[in-house]
Amino acid sequence: MKIVPAEPEVEYSEEYYEMLARTMGEERAAWARLPREEREKELRWYHDNFNTPDDLAIWPPELDGGVNNP
Amino acid sequence: MLQVVSAPLDFLRIFAGQLRQAGIRFAITSGMACVHYGLQQNTKDSDWIIPADDLEKLRELLARLEGELPPWRVSYRQIFGAPLTAEFMAHASHLSIWDSAASVEHKVDIFSKPPRVKAEEIQVDTEGWATRHVVAQMKRTDRDKDWPIVQGLGQQLHERNRDECLLHLTNSEELLAAWQSATRSARERMTSRRPLLRCLETTPPPDKLGVERLLAIERLVWERVNEHRHKRYTRTWKDFYRRWRKESGWDWPTAEQFWLQHRRTLSATR
Repeated sequence: MKIVPAEPEVEYSEEYYEMLARTMGEERAAWARLPREEREKELRWYHDNFNTPDDLAIWPPELDGGVNNP
Repeated sequence: MLQVVSAPLDFLRIFAGQLRQAGIRFAITSGMACVHYGLQQNTKDSDWIIPADDLEKLRELLARLEGELPPWRVSYRQIFGAPLTAEFMAHASHLSIWDSAASVEHKVDIFSKPPRVKAEEIQVDTEGWATRHVVAQMKRTDRDKDWPIVQGLGQQLHERNRDECLLHLTNSEELLAAWQSATRSARERMTSRRPLLRCLETTPPPDKLGVERLLAIERLVWERVNEHRHKRYTRTWKDFYRRWRKESGWDWPTAEQFWLQHRRTLSATR
């Protein structure tokens, strides 16, 4: 396992966020635009108030899911 | 005494700190790494790459944490994948951890051989995150939701001027743009890893629709590869689990300490 330096935050282009909106939806793109601390704050709220798919899954993703078993 | 309940993001840091203190190498990957890279919101479990050589130290750490105050509770999950030992870790081991009496269940998945990633390519940054290149390889699954993440990681690598973006971009326009701006040596290196890139060398280069068709075929190949890998794993697991359940007095997961559970899994597999 090779250790490499942590990369600094960079400001991504507008095209990057537009692509996220097209492929993942407006809500996720809006979340991605937030500064890291804000993203984390929103995520904590989400974790506190909602079950996520992995909360509800009995099978770990490596043994579940996929095209034939969504 | 007021018990502090660790939220998933806090637990991630607590567990990483424990691993560091115990001298166990690790990389946080998959869902939580995607959260770190700003690409995913809906995961609470955590996935860790831990080299097989360090699994013994990990088991010792878990046993120690179960004996400390406040004690952690560590348990294999019902569908536990593989015993946490080098011999069986071709895939993953699935644990649940409670880091205090009032803790929520933290689902922890341990990989020693992360799928689709060559051992020599496992890279982790100084903060403990698997690199984008590693995470993108792990996300080439047969789940639709993973492919926009591969593209997103590829795009981030492109914006950071990293040659590996050529391995992960799945948007035709973006891939063509990255290809045009890549150096000859980067093109050569990346083409040896991603056969699709050879088709971009042609003069004139293929049009957008042509590249999209190639990308669709490439994804189909990755999906089938993963499906095949998945089927072998699931079949083996199910055969084992059905046999095991037939043992007299079978009960799983047990309430006993992790090291006793671990011994039980080893004896069940032999």
